[in-house]
Amino acid sequence: MKGVLLSGGTGSRLRPITHTGPKQLVPVANKPVLEYAIDDLKEAGITEIGVILGNKGRDEIQELLGDGSKYGVDITYIVQGNPLGLAHAAGCARDFVGDDNFVMYLGDNILKSGVTDLVESFEAGDYGAGIALQEVENPQAFGIADVDDAGNVTELIEKPDDPPTNLALIGMYVFSPAVFDAIDDLEPSWRGELEITDAIQSLLEDGYEIDSHVVTGWWKDTGKPEDILEANRLVLEDTELNTAGVVEDGAETDGRIELADSSVIEDGAVVRGPASIAENTTIKSGTYVGPYTSIGANSTLEEIHIENSVVIGDSEITANGRIVDSLLGRNANVESADGLLPEGRRLVVGENSQLKL
Amino acid sequence: MRIITHSCPACGTIVAANELENNRVMKCPGLGCQEVLRFEELPEDAREHFLENRDRYQI
Repeated sequence: MKGVLLSGGTGSRLRPITHTGPKQLVPVANKPVLEYAIDDLKEAGITEIGVILGNKGRDEIQELLGDGSKYGVDITYIVQGNPLGLAHAAGCARDFVGDDNFVMYLGDNILKSGVTDLVESFEAGDYGAGIALQEVENPQAFGIADVDDAGNVTELIEKPDDPPTNLALIGMYVFSPAVFDAIDDLEPSWRGELEITDAIQSLLEDGYEIDSHVVTGWWKDTGKPEDILEANRLVLEDTELNTAGVVEDGAETDGRIELADSSVIEDGAVVRGPASIAENTTIKSGTYVGPYTSIGANSTLEEIHIENSVVIGDSEITANGRIVDSLLGRNANVESADGLLPEGRRLVVGENSQLKL
Repeated sequence: MRIITHSCPACGTIVAANELENNRVMKCPGLGCQEVLRFEELPEDAREHFLENRDRYQI
């Protein structure tokens, strides 16, 4: 079994964060989203991984993952270039996959339960493909699978008006090499892409059985800022957090806190977990870091009250105010305007930024 | 739709034909690899198929 990890896409819904980097490298609980996928594949016993690169962020992704040795996996890079669809991405991996089965994992997705059960379910039968499904409350908004009593998929329907089930495809698949011939026979859809659901439908029509695996834990597509915040909350809730750094006398901490050994919570600061504070970061006196907050490396916080937020890193946040439900990009600084005249907020805001003042 | 790729002989990075054709001659996108990749290195039938169907490989 091999892994194909999709790391392309423009990240347009995450602008301005993705103006300077790929969406798969946005951190959740101070760890790039893409590394959760690598961990999941490795946990499922998959150590040969093809990473699909698009037109954006190729060098950054290669710099992070390298040859995979630091994760105990072997990585081959596959440059898709134009985003011609998930089936095109899978097709580009044909030489890498060879005659093996493979897991296809969307690199901007995080799921609690990993892919081990999906792989084991697929390997227990003789399937052309296996798909991960999750029950959703609004099936009209998703690609939906109809399944028989044995759990085999009988039909895939994109955003149905009258959905036969509430089981949505969540972007995790296992394929046999038969999918490559199905992809060869595909035509681009109305949006000019080769659709993976069309490839699966083609396998069905050719008589292959398609396994389904219903994922019960949480799953997040981290495509939007609010998704990053929710994924951050879910991961902090579930992850073991270790306080290795310095908590000075007079600092107040409560709950589970990840504190890197080079970081400090100073006298007079308050941190309430679950929270994550990465390397070389200082939480100074008068600062409050509330639950579900991740502060990236090389940052200084002073006087600010911040909660349910993600600070990616290299930031100076020293204003006396409250920040909630926010995502701050790398090198973003928030300083006090006290004493400046004329009074007022002073902003240098990039394209596609969103501010609520 | 036939998907055509080319593997860098130096680092193994796989490059889709649409990427090769866009550049014709390109430095391998594998980080740190100095190999030069050319669209002309694809087999003749693959090149012809790609060029005859070029519009379908664009977005």
